[in-house]
Amino acid sequence: MTTAKPHRGTIHLEDAEILTHEAHPGGQYILRVHSPECAHRAAPGSFAHLTCDPLLPMRRPLSIMRTDPEAGWVEFLYKVVGEGTRLLSRRQTGESISVMGPIGQPFRPRPERPRPLLLGGGVGIPPMVFLADALRREPACKPLVMMGSEVPFPFTSRPSQILVPGIPDGVIAAMPLLEDWSVPSRLCSRQDFPGCYQGYITDLARDWLSALNTQHLQEVEIFACGPHPMLEAVAKLARDYDLPCQVSLEEFMACAVGGCAGCTVQVETDQGPAMKRVCVDGPVFDARAVFP
Amino acid sequence: MTDELTDKLAIDFCGLRFSSPVVLLSGCVGFGEEYTRVAGFSNRDVGAICLKGTTGAPRLGNPPHRVYETPAGMLNAIGLQNPGVDRVVDEILPTLDFDETRFIANVSGSTLEEYEAVTRRFNDSPIDAIEINISCPNVKEGGVAFGNDPDMSARVVETCRAVTDKPLITKLSPNQTDIAENARRCIEAGSDAFAVINTLMGMAIDIDNRTPVIGNNQGGLSGPAIKPIALLKVHQVAQVCRAHAIPIIGQGGVTTPEDAIEFLIAGASAVGVGTALFYDPLICRRINQGILDYLDQHGLNSVAQLTDTLVLNGATAC
Ligand SMILES: Cc1cc2nc3c(=O)[nH]c(=O)nc-3n(C[C@H](O)[C@H](O)[C@H](O)COP(=O)(O)OP(=O)(O)OC[C@H]3O[C@@H](n4cnc5c(N)ncnc54)[C@H](O)[C@@H]3O)c2cc1C
Ligand SMILES: Cc1cc2nc3c(=O)[nH]c(=O)nc-3n(C[C@H](O)[C@H](O)[C@H](O)COP(=O)(O)O)c2cc1C
Ligand code: FES
Repeated sequence: MTTAKPHRGTIHLEDAEILTHEAHPGGQYILRVHSPECAHRAAPGSFAHLTCDPLLPMRRPLSIMRTDPEAGWVEFLYKVVGEGTRLLSRRQTGESISVMGPIGQPFRPRPERPRPLLLGGGVGIPPMVFLADALRREPACKPLVMMGSEVPFPFTSRPSQILVPGIPDGVIAAMPLLEDWSVPSRLCSRQDFPGCYQGYITDLARDWLSALNTQHLQEVEIFACGPHPMLEAVAKLARDYDLPCQVSLEEFMACAVGGCAGCTVQVETDQGPAMKRVCVDGPVFDARAVFP
Repeated sequence: MTDELTDKLAIDFCGLRFSSPVVLLSGCVGFGEEYTRVAGFSNRDVGAICLKGTTGAPRLGNPPHRVYETPAGMLNAIGLQNPGVDRVVDEILPTLDFDETRFIANVSGSTLEEYEAVTRRFNDSPIDAIEINISCPNVKEGGVAFGNDPDMSARVVETCRAVTDKPLITKLSPNQTDIAENARRCIEAGSDAFAVINTLMGMAIDIDNRTPVIGNNQGGLSGPAIKPIALLKVHQVAQVCRAHAIPIIGQGGVTTPEDAIEFLIAGASAVGVGTALFYDPLICRRINQGILDYLDQHGLNSVAQLTDTLVLNGATAC
């Protein structure tokens, strides 16, 4: 009677040993855990639901920043904002946390748009790193990553060796990991960080887009993750340039498997407004559906 | 735990065989398939699954935020988001595998007519039983407004009873003065069983903005924080049910096998698990195993032998 159920068994629960847990300025941490099933199945945009501490009744969702399927690890970047992330930050290398993942619909880049622009704001940076890692393996794909942060970046930036036309003079700070991957990146902040664009990420993106010729512009697709106001500004930018745009959203979660409808956002569909669950229908959505 | 649950765990619930006394609770597991996304999770590990609250027309539900962690629990105000009974019956029920477990509909409404129409529609469907939710704290009309008034509760039950011969479970609200009196009225009106308890009303405030965190301003509190209240309510309702052999699905904060055993002792025939799944999706297997171990250790042959075995202390104060 029942048809095949492809959703079954797609999310894995693993007791994951903490391999490294680095503290960075601004209350930011990079956490690497041994979680082979999650590492194997994650795609850019996926997240995991983690136990921070047995004292807390709920898990916390964190985007996956990097994976190594061979070595079986998954890496997260998070910022301490409340009790859960504070307790998580105390967990030591060698301890184990429960990782449930990978969860969610990933970014789906259009192959006919080989100039993806990746915009990550604050703790929206992780999925952009993951996406850049995937796109760099695509032949003829030329991703450009822009990152914004109001606290120091969780890495030591270095001057980029990769020239990007349209970027203002002096805006040279780049993420070393992406440089090593030969993926151009630029950093922005309203703070006065050396080599960074001083202003909003969408203003830097606009500078770059304005410098593209018509043909190149049609090859651009925008991917973004970050605070809601940033995503709204990115959606507007995409509309102004008539570009496709995928955004990754955050909402408070309970189950993270689609069971509680706690994480829903209203989106526009052809049939009118609909409620979609950020955990399993997202977290990646078409920007036009979220910001009509 | 073996794949096949042993007969020892099986219970008879209003003539239905539940392979385990553990029931997945309404609103926590969508329409029965969501948790099967988790590798290792199986609907066969539970005796029954209560589907999301269903109304006559589709409902979009409440604005965000809808869920929020609180000490030893959480608040939720989903607002009964559901696609409406027609789509549930026509499109969702046919995708469920009724060999795996029992599926229980959870019926809500803003009017008596709506409760009646939704129950009637489910009566004409493969659903195994119908739970009437007169205790949802997150909708403006119906829900807990009906459940806190014994007259209205009885009228809802009577109305639903008239249109279904499936087992009818009334889900009682803890947000009322005399839950036992309400239960008594619902039995008279034709309720076959009870679910005790639904969430307690609560609030959390964002002190930076001085606004409630929950979009609906208030929400239902669930999880371990409510367990002692739930146990007492089960105990109180059990006093009324005993003479009529009416079973109770005890619920509210069950997180460990010991919690489940407490509810059984207090008078429950089955035990619901909701919020605890959010932390540990595979918890039902552990609860099954823990109950089984307890039965073995105490020389009991069935869960039924444990139900309603509370020995009260002699004290009479309060
Ligand atoms: C899909 C997704 C991916 C995310 N990825 C990252 C990431 O890569 N790095 C990172 O630092 N943060 C990320 N977040 C946000 C992160 O989940 C929250 O910062 C975290 O849950 C806060 O928990 P807390 O207990 O420290 O804070 P508190 O504010 O004390 O949390 C209280 C409650 O609110 C919830 N909550 C508060 N803020 C958020 C939020 N922004 N999103 C979801 N729930 C929230 C918590 O889960 C908790 O239940 C992501 C959120 C989602 C939904
Ligand atoms: C997110 C969420 C949604 C819920 N939705 C419903 C619902 O639609 N109908 C209902 O009768 N109860 C609903 N409930 C209540 C639960 O079914 C259960 O009675 C309550 O949460 C107590 O059990 P717990 O502490 O194990 O979660 C919901 C609870 C939660 C946490
Ligand atoms: S968090 Fe439960 S449905 Fe998304």
